Amino acid sequence: MKALSLYQDKGTFIHRVDSRSKLLYILAAILIPAVLHGFTVGLVLMALSLFLLVVAKVIRKVIPLVGFSFLILISVVVIQGLFYPGNRHVWFALGGLRFYQEGLVFSAGICVRVLNILCAVSILVLTTRPSDLIESLVRLGLSPHLGYVLSSVLQIIPQMTSTMETITDAQRSRGMETEGSLLVRIKAFLPLIGPVVMNSLVNTRERSLALEVRAFSSRAKKTFLNPPPGGMVNQVLPIVLLLAMVAAVVWRVLQ
Amino acid sequence: MKNSMWSLKLSTSALVLIPAAVGINYIGKLFAGLLKLPLWLDAIGTVLSAMLAGPVVGALCGAINNIIYGLTMDPISFIYALTSIGIGLAVGVMAQKGRINSFTSVIVVGLVAACVATVISTPINIGFWGGQTGNVWGDLVYAAIIAHHFPVWIASLVDEFIVDVPDKIATVIVAYGIFKGLPQKLTILFRHDNQTEQL
Repeated sequence: MKALSLYQDKGTFIHRVDSRSKLLYILAAILIPAVLHGFTVGLVLMALSLFLLVVAKVIRKVIPLVGFSFLILISVVVIQGLFYPGNRHVWFALGGLRFYQEGLVFSAGICVRVLNILCAVSILVLTTRPSDLIESLVRLGLSPHLGYVLSSVLQIIPQMTSTMETITDAQRSRGMETEGSLLVRIKAFLPLIGPVVMNSLVNTRERSLALEVRAFSSRAKKTFLNPPPGGMVNQVLPIVLLLAMVAAVVWRVLQ
Repeated sequence: MKNSMWSLKLSTSALVLIPAAVGINYIGKLFAGLLKLPLWLDAIGTVLSAMLAGPVVGALCGAINNIIYGLTMDPISFIYALTSIGIGLAVGVMAQKGRINSFTSVIVVGLVAACVATVISTPINIGFWGGQTGNVWGDLVYAAIIAHHFPVWIASLVDEFIVDVPDKIATVIVAYGIFKGLPQKLTILFRHDNQTEQL
């Protein structure tokens, strides 16, 4: 069945690293630049993430992910460059609009921070199968019931999207307008979403009966389908990342 | 024995409601985009599940919604999970107290949800984006207020609030419309105030 995911199956070394290490890497990529102020740290970590993405052969898939935030980042640069409260020195003027140095530096800081986090999260999202991620979260102590809920969402959404297409076609063939003035489009919203929602809620009833029959709410200890990930890297990497975070905090305190 | 609405023991039907509700959020956003509506409408499922099954399921639904979005589309939405949790909790509490029973009350609930969303989102916006929301209209207002030398937090608060109010009111109206149309044999599955008699 088609499931919702950004996972790219390239089978590189990065793909085989345990998702626990990747989660810790995200934490480190957020924490270390936050603890040690300044551009350079953020830029170094961003370069490292980009390098890892290249090694994992998924660098091209990062572009749409960054694209989501790109428009906001541009508007941040423009608005802060023009109106940042601490603006003193004009850097350059563009057709009557004066861009200030302080605002642009401030917005550059925001861009580095956001792009750094985006790249670090991309490593996890693009190189880890969602079901593996959920399994390792359950191993770390997440309730198996919530694990089921998470993986079930990934399957339900493509199902609902196809129901949605069917319903849109059905309503259109009955002559419902979906284009035109704002009022027409607002009026179209409820007849479109109503049947999809009703349909999915009625399905939940059957789904919960089916799960109950299979002892879903049993309190017995659950076992895993796959063996836990082994290997030297998966043992050493979390320790290295934790040490790096501790080192950053210690460095900051000592300064 | 009467169950509290804060009970963390979730029934199977409540757990199964969560994926459906996250799907509804997703579909709502998709339809809003398809019809080019000027709203997000991406919390209909969260609000609906909070009305059906109370604050705990509403909050869980909000959190899982943003986690899934983060994993499949836009990693930034992880942080806004806090906002979704707040919306789920607020609507859930009001619904379980029986506050949602007329059209006026639906508007009030929408306003409260918008306030909760604004209060939680603003610090995140300031910390992350320097105060902007990424919505064109909101950001224009932000720029205008900042240009008049008001503090960043006021500008950011107004920016988020004017975007959230129409969106959340519309979301609650749609969710309530669906909620009213559901057959009782379905809504009874998720109710919290059912009594368990013991012999």
